[in-house]
Amino acid sequence: MNLPLDPELLRKRQQAWSRRTFLGKSAQAIGALALGSLVNPSLLKAATATGDQRWRGILSAPHFPPRAKRVIHLCMAGGPSHLETFDPKPRLNALHGQPFPESFTKGQQLAQLQNAVLKARGSSFGFSRCGLSGQTISDLLPHTQSIADDICIVRSMHTEQINHDPAHAFMNAGSIIKGRPSMGSWLLYGLGSEVDNLPGYVVLMSNGPGADQPVSARQWSAGLLPSKFQGVQFQSKGAPVHYVGNPDGVCQSMQRQMIDEVAELNGFCAEKTLDPEIQTRIAQYELAFKMQTSVPELADMSGEPQSTLDLYGVKEPGDGSFASNCLLARRLAERGVRFIQLYHRGWDHHGDLDGNIQKVTKLVDQGSAALIKDLKQRGLLDDTLVIWGGEFGRTPMGQGTGRDHHINAFSIWMAGGGIRPGLSWGSTDELGYRYLEDGQQMHVHDLHATMLATFGIDHERLTYRSQGRDFRLTDVAGKVVKGILV
Amino acid sequence: MLGIHRTPLSLLLLAVGLSLDAMGAETSGAPVEFNRDIRPILSNTCFKCHGPDVAANKSGLRLDVREAALATHTAKTGLVTTAIVPGKVTASELWRRVTANDPQTVMPPPDALHQLTGNDKELLKRWIEQGAKYQPHWAYAPMEKKAAPAAKAGVLAAMHPIDRFVLVPLSAKGVQPSSEAPPGTLIRRLTLDLTGLPPTASEVEAFVDDLRPDAYERLVDRVLASPHYGERMAVPWLDLVRFADSVGFHGDQEQNIFPYRDYVVDAFNRNLPFDRFTVEQIAGDLLPNATTAQRVASGFNRLNMMTREGGAQSKEYLAKYSADRVRAVSTAWLGSTMACCECHDHKFDPFSTRDFYSLAAFFSDVQQWGVYGDYEYTPEPELKGVDNDHPFPPEIELTSPYLVERAARLRKQIAERTAVLARQAMESPAGQAAIERWAAEVRTRLKDGPSSAWSAAPASNAESTEGVTTTILPDGSVLFVDPPPTVVEGKPAVKKPNPNRLTLLPASGPLSTVRVEVLPDDAHGGYTTREQKYRFDLRLTLALRRAGRTQNEPLAIGYAFAEKSTESYFNGKPLASVHTRWRSDRKIVREPQAAVYHLSEPIEIAPGDELVAVLTSGDVGRVRFTTSPLGGTLPPEELPPETRAALLADRPTAAQNVLIAGVYARSAGIGEKGLDSVSTGLLLDLAGCHEGRTQSLVTVSVDPRVTRVLGRGNWQDDTGEIVAPATPHFLPGAKKASPAGPRSSRLDLARWIASRENPLTARTFVNRLWGQFFGTGLSAVVDDLGMQGEYPTHPELLDWLSLEFVDRGWDVKAMVRLLVTSATYKQSSTRRPELADLDPANRLLAAQNARRLDAEFVRDNALFAAGLLNLDLGGPSVHPYQPEGYYAAINFPQRDYLADTDERQYRRGIYMHWQRTFLHPMLANFDAPSREECTAARNLSTTPQQALTLMNDPTFVEAARVLAERVLPVEPAKRLDAAFLRVLAREPSARERASLEKFYNQQLIAFRAQPEDARKLTSVGLRPAAKDVDRAELAAWTAVSRVLLNLNETIVRY
Repeated sequence: MNLPLDPELLRKRQQAWSRRTFLGKSAQAIGALALGSLVNPSLLKAATATGDQRWRGILSAPHFPPRAKRVIHLCMAGGPSHLETFDPKPRLNALHGQPFPESFTKGQQLAQLQNAVLKARGSSFGFSRCGLSGQTISDLLPHTQSIADDICIVRSMHTEQINHDPAHAFMNAGSIIKGRPSMGSWLLYGLGSEVDNLPGYVVLMSNGPGADQPVSARQWSAGLLPSKFQGVQFQSKGAPVHYVGNPDGVCQSMQRQMIDEVAELNGFCAEKTLDPEIQTRIAQYELAFKMQTSVPELADMSGEPQSTLDLYGVKEPGDGSFASNCLLARRLAERGVRFIQLYHRGWDHHGDLDGNIQKVTKLVDQGSAALIKDLKQRGLLDDTLVIWGGEFGRTPMGQGTGRDHHINAFSIWMAGGGIRPGLSWGSTDELGYRYLEDGQQMHVHDLHATMLATFGIDHERLTYRSQGRDFRLTDVAGKVVKGILV
Repeated sequence: MLGIHRTPLSLLLLAVGLSLDAMGAETSGAPVEFNRDIRPILSNTCFKCHGPDVAANKSGLRLDVREAALATHTAKTGLVTTAIVPGKVTASELWRRVTANDPQTVMPPPDALHQLTGNDKELLKRWIEQGAKYQPHWAYAPMEKKAAPAAKAGVLAAMHPIDRFVLVPLSAKGVQPSSEAPPGTLIRRLTLDLTGLPPTASEVEAFVDDLRPDAYERLVDRVLASPHYGERMAVPWLDLVRFADSVGFHGDQEQNIFPYRDYVVDAFNRNLPFDRFTVEQIAGDLLPNATTAQRVASGFNRLNMMTREGGAQSKEYLAKYSADRVRAVSTAWLGSTMACCECHDHKFDPFSTRDFYSLAAFFSDVQQWGVYGDYEYTPEPELKGVDNDHPFPPEIELTSPYLVERAARLRKQIAERTAVLARQAMESPAGQAAIERWAAEVRTRLKDGPSSAWSAAPASNAESTEGVTTTILPDGSVLFVDPPPTVVEGKPAVKKPNPNRLTLLPASGPLSTVRVEVLPDDAHGGYTTREQKYRFDLRLTLALRRAGRTQNEPLAIGYAFAEKSTESYFNGKPLASVHTRWRSDRKIVREPQAAVYHLSEPIEIAPGDELVAVLTSGDVGRVRFTTSPLGGTLPPEELPPETRAALLADRPTAAQNVLIAGVYARSAGIGEKGLDSVSTGLLLDLAGCHEGRTQSLVTVSVDPRVTRVLGRGNWQDDTGEIVAPATPHFLPGAKKASPAGPRSSRLDLARWIASRENPLTARTFVNRLWGQFFGTGLSAVVDDLGMQGEYPTHPELLDWLSLEFVDRGWDVKAMVRLLVTSATYKQSSTRRPELADLDPANRLLAAQNARRLDAEFVRDNALFAAGLLNLDLGGPSVHPYQPEGYYAAINFPQRDYLADTDERQYRRGIYMHWQRTFLHPMLANFDAPSREECTAARNLSTTPQQALTLMNDPTFVEAARVLAERVLPVEPAKRLDAAFLRVLAREPSARERASLEKFYNQQLIAFRAQPEDARKLTSVGLRPAAKDVDRAELAAWTAVSRVLLNLNETIVRY
């Protein structure tokens, strides 16, 4: 048990003891029983109601002025092709069907293309320069084209893991070793949440056109951080949060009565045992009760006007589609949730790339763009960092009618939260095989360092001691990419 | 009178007086001790750059080795200094640097994360003044057994040795230990700690009333002998070895390994010495004449996560598996963080990268594939034909005692069920008549011998596709012949299974089963398959076409059994029924084979009715169909003799009539609904027991793979040095690799790990055990006894216990007994405000620590209190209720979670299905780890999710209702006492009673007003609500029970 080393527990313990020792050392003479009776359960309840149990983060002050207050990560699971979305390569198109130059690929790791004859594959889709910024975006993404001036496209992303599962882990936690906290957990640990009646880190999932690559719950795990920092996946079926609904036959007022009774009896126990954890437990029941109200209220989108539904392209609010999840993400952001992650499983195009990417872009393009527009019109974009992208890119070499996994180059976009809008950052070589080392390259660790920087956090100084060492999101690497910050 | 077991530690201390030596270096002038006072400072602030990781040491100055720190050191600037001059602070460069003001000179540098405090500097100063003595790191030094502290007073000699060690520092600080916990608290604490279950009400009463002096020791012995001790002890071990039911990577398919879990439980129960336990897991397969249990134990080496992802590279994943294994072994047994050395020498401890890969090399003979599939781009010829539903080889087959017992139980239930159905069938005169009609028909068919229950259903028409020709032979069977092979792009075209549509003419009368025989034929060289293939694969659908109709009515197949078949799998598990797919046994390809398909709803065939069979197969050679009115059980040939005699009797006796009615009910069904679904479910469950046969992942030793040191952990780097198996170079008794000598094996490693020479294993195990019973280890960081870990609060006690463990032959039960019989363990856990400043974390052990139950035991405790817990031992993992749709993001294959609908629903948490990528929400909410990585300590959080689980998870709601059902029969005035005794092992206090009575009355009024709500609340869960109870009263008591099951005290052991 790492109890003595957990700063939160230490702090809580100190608080608990300071409450108890307000009588000074003479309290010892009175004895435990007498002192215990001073701890009035109704006072405990009052303390709870003021929310002083909320975790406000390990960082007492930011390391530098923050811009972002929350993240919405639109995770395009499966690995979108940068060559069909944000990174046009005329030379690759010209080379279509020809052998892929060995000078690019020699000695490099491949996934399903191992042992295959490598042929260049051009893109079947056109690109346009968009907006005043003139950023180049695929015609597959007309709605994204319309927000070109709000987003910063990064074309020099690269990662270290070539298979989905470890690549997701690397993108989320900066490591493939299990037990490393994901970025949302790091933010909660560092800054706490602005809301206490909803989880501070929420995950939503959609898929299509088909059932696709699996995504593990480890991707939103708190790892070695206390589990209160883990992400909570909202379910598309049944109760949005597990066990958030009362049992059949129990109405909200009866549930309330039960919680009051539990608190009353827990209070008696606290007096008897002087166990400071009991206060925390009572407070968690209050939070749970609030969640039982606030989660259904959050998920109930019946109050959203038709114009908003149309903006997102939501057919049926709450239908589990990516569009509906984008709208839910805005509602979560409005309520102060710190980290919101939307997975869309549908980007693993080993075959029929042309057909599948048309389908999947139709599913995600409008919602993604609508989210930016909606946040902007509500004044939320300034302090909401939106990240759109997958766990890796795809090969410029064809794999039959598709493309294979690729770690040397992929594209993402970011918006809001202190990111310079309308900016294109970083490039790949003429065939889109590898990022250029031109000072604008961005490794996953750099992305993490930069994301933390938008929150005013020095990524080297948000650490957690476990197993004798200080862990951090960026492991032992990562540079803040200052060029994309406002 | 007050027995010795009631003598609190505090009284003993008074008897001893405060004559024991003081400890600690807080006061100035007191001796500084390197291990306790100095090493933590140096390690935390200096070793990163001046420690064992030479690559990170730019200055070349080392502070972790005394000789180096005391030697003259020439800086790059040419400046010659000496870091430490013993006794001379001002001459020591270290002191000059740590006290410097100039940012260029000061150490640690101003931007370093860890800075020295004033107290740190003061300690360093005094340490240098006192001669700068180093000590070997405590955990790497040989264990030293100093006798437990003795005192002048004779009383101490009679005291428990643990208490003597604990009292020394307590008395030095003038702190009194706490008094002994009350007996009710004690028995609950001990029973929960040792079995994960609460005591029963009668056990509590018996203990409270037992005034014999050794009552507590008797209790300990009783509880240690419980078979549930092994289950409790297994839980932390299963965290360490990362035991789970699924492989973890990507598709997270299921793996067959539950026998390993049963082995662990059993090992603790039969008190297998820990050294043997170690050897069997790491190298059980290498033991001479290894037993099945030892081979199952070697499954430990297979518990790393595995992948079957297409496009994953074998070499990369073998590197991942190998590193995972080093992390697990070094954490579980050595309490060391060797993970760091995958990429670089350890920053704090003497482990090198070479140590990491040398340890990995011990396991390079473990048969393993990087990717458990054969893909075009990553061929694994040995795994040809393996798909996402296949298990993960190699496995062995063995018998599970649980499954054997379950099969016997199911047979009994089937017989009971049949008797019930028979009675129902015979209830009415119409039913009697129906039985007689049916029995007469069966009798005529059975007369000519056992197999005559089958009537021919000759084919009247046969059509095929893909150019396959069909011929109806005189016996009504159908012969299939392939067209000449076609060639596409120089290769023979791949043949696909194709549908064949046969029209059959079954005998009139009742029909319950359809048999398909696949026959050898000369047209196929005497094979049952076309083209003399070694195996056929067949899927069947059936429909009925009534005479004169054109529309077919589909016939549902309940299940199907084949006499012989090759196992088909779903998600790693062999399928019990072949009704979705029948794959022949390749060994008997020249013999006739048959499968019997049981209709869900038996039918009556009228003259002219036809059966339409669509048989999808690319390879069966010749098939023949027969039908029978007998069904609902095994094939008619296997009718028990007495049943056959009854069916053949001209004048059946009353007893025979009952037998006949039973066969009738199960063959023809009763009423309109077809076959009884309970019986069908039981039959399938029985088949699923596979007569007790099961599989388990094991270690198979093959030629060792080459192990290289991977630069920066890069698996693509083939330039690193090749290493042979060797234990960490600096640890005593190290098994060094010698180029000439024989290669060390896993057996050598295991024997070294659990040897007296190795200073880490016993310390690691005993320290964790201490944490289990006291809340915190003697060294708090149980997964790191290295330099960055914690210097033990009671180092001499830890060493004494560790050597005691070794001396007692690694006897785990003896150690548990030793720990829990100490007065230190038995102290009250009530917090003492007067110690808040002196010892806020209670590390001096002046009291016990309250501790929340682990996830599994939170569940067990509630179900046990309700009398709902199923205490079966072992067997396949079980599936309690789980929110629907939770596995939606899993694929390859897609799967639904099907909750168990029988007594398995109520089994202990240790048996819950452990899906690594989506752990059951109840377990996850209470901090159970996903077991993807070796875990030595669980978090202990308090979250709203836990509150939601206890309030709303149907498991807990149902438990509350069943608890209410237990309480209701008690006389009203004593109900609350009964409930409290069950849940909390005590009586309610007056104000608890008053409060709950008020609450109960309030709830009763509400439920009386809303009877529908009462009905709903008391209907949650699989178990039907008790009959003949007032539902409003039951609901109100359910509400009270919910309160009790949600109390903090209920999920905490005090």
